[in-house]
Amino acid sequence: MIRLSRHHTERIVFAVIGLAAVATAVPIIIIVGSIFFSGAEAVSWQFLLEMPRDGMRSGGIWPAIIGTIYLVVGTGLISIPLGVASAIYLSEYAADSYWTRMIRLAIVNLAGIPSVVYGLFGLGLFVLFLDLGSSIVAACLTLSIMTIPVIISTAEEALRAVPQSFRVVSVGMGATRWQTIRRVVLPQALPGILTGVILGLNRAAGETAPILFTGAAFFLPKLPNSIFDQTMALPYHLFVISTQVPEMPITIQYGTATVLLAFVLIMNILAASVRSWQRRKREW
Amino acid sequence: MFDNPKIRINELSVGYDDGTQALSDVCLDIPENAITALFGPAGGGKSTLLRTLNRLNDLLDVSISGEVIIDDMNIFDRNVDVISLRRRVGIVFAQPIPLPFSIRKNITYGLELAGERRRAKLDDAVEGSLRSSALWDEVKDRLDDSANALSGGQQQRLCIARVLALAPEVLLLDEPTSGLDPISTAKVESSLQILKQDYTVVIAPSSIQQTARIADLAVFMLQGELVEWGSGEDLFSAPREKQTEEYITGRFG
Repeated sequence: MIRLSRHHTERIVFAVIGLAAVATAVPIIIIVGSIFFSGAEAVSWQFLLEMPRDGMRSGGIWPAIIGTIYLVVGTGLISIPLGVASAIYLSEYAADSYWTRMIRLAIVNLAGIPSVVYGLFGLGLFVLFLDLGSSIVAACLTLSIMTIPVIISTAEEALRAVPQSFRVVSVGMGATRWQTIRRVVLPQALPGILTGVILGLNRAAGETAPILFTGAAFFLPKLPNSIFDQTMALPYHLFVISTQVPEMPITIQYGTATVLLAFVLIMNILAASVRSWQRRKREW
Repeated sequence: MFDNPKIRINELSVGYDDGTQALSDVCLDIPENAITALFGPAGGGKSTLLRTLNRLNDLLDVSISGEVIIDDMNIFDRNVDVISLRRRVGIVFAQPIPLPFSIRKNITYGLELAGERRRAKLDDAVEGSLRSSALWDEVKDRLDDSANALSGGQQQRLCIARVLALAPEVLLLDEPTSGLDPISTAKVESSLQILKQDYTVVIAPSSIQQTARIADLAVFMLQGELVEWGSGEDLFSAPREKQTEEYITGRFG
């Protein structure tokens, strides 16, 4: 057997892990690049702001964009308070007991459930049992169940990263536990919590399966009037025009994909800049 | 020797939930307007005793028996308001831990918790407490800078100042100069000499030498028990117990 010198080993290891890093980046660049390249010509103000016409074969995707915004905002309204409150409970109040371990286990497992299962669950619970029908509110609730575990685990991590000594000092100065959380712990954990919130909502914005049975409309040539209406949404619209509509112009498909991708990318960039802001701001 | 005890500790025992007995049957009278110094090797229960005096150990799982009586009030009584107890009995830790705020906010924090909003009151507290801890001249022009920009010695004096801002009656200091250079240490020690005129000071000094320099009442603790106590001078010139003598002369510890 040939014995390599340390220097050779070093070079080989470096080359291999470098290649691995490049290999992961290449598909992303190709996907994003090809979609943006082919979709750019379809994207215009008309495309963004007009109603679809001609069985979606021409016109714009405005109702789908608005629908996705509604879904993301609604999901945020439900999942942010619930998720952050649960994270505060788990990190700051709950003792390490059998039950809290069970809750954590449940959260971890929730994060691993396939999204179509959430969709069917939402159909069973919100649409049928609670009789909300296929509606924005049912879709938001379903997306929230999917989003909350992401928010809880990132928020709890952010809260735990705040040094314990701050809590001791604060309590030592006569703060109650809630005052300590509110004034010291939460502000320090906020950027980390925001990152988790954005990542969670990002996933909600891009998913098709959970809204498929709970609130997404195949084609709706008007904007929803209330939260009990169905709505179009970008990911489902993309699925529909790619597979369900014959003689669909390819440019509209690419254009829709471009808009969805841009939506998600913008949110990701937002999360990344929040993270770097957090690092600069951190004082410990 | 001292006839005006501020704090009376009766048969205090403290055990942690992992089974270690941190304090066993401690009895001690802590005089008002004097510096009481708890000294001895690590693991003697000094920190535990200090943290018991303002019930900061409540954050951990501890079992406590005995009494700590501050001004006729047993602090372990069921109806004691722990929050106000901690304001009366302030604590400074070994590591200076400024909260992640500005210098000013570090000091006003405790007052704001209690609902103080008047700007003039807060400003007075900032200046007064920083003067008392001998930090005012160094930071008066940059009160709104981050407290983390201060040096270790300045941070520790800030930590003393923010406790003083609450106008406590008792000041607990757990090795407050352990991370400080000699100049900062001297500043902290000299401010303690001034502070003891208004406060009851209980300190776990960082060294035997520091104990000798500042202690009015010196208390030697070994493995959770009080071995011996007496005025600083007496105890260091003529220790009664063999263990005390051996520790002071450096034979162990």
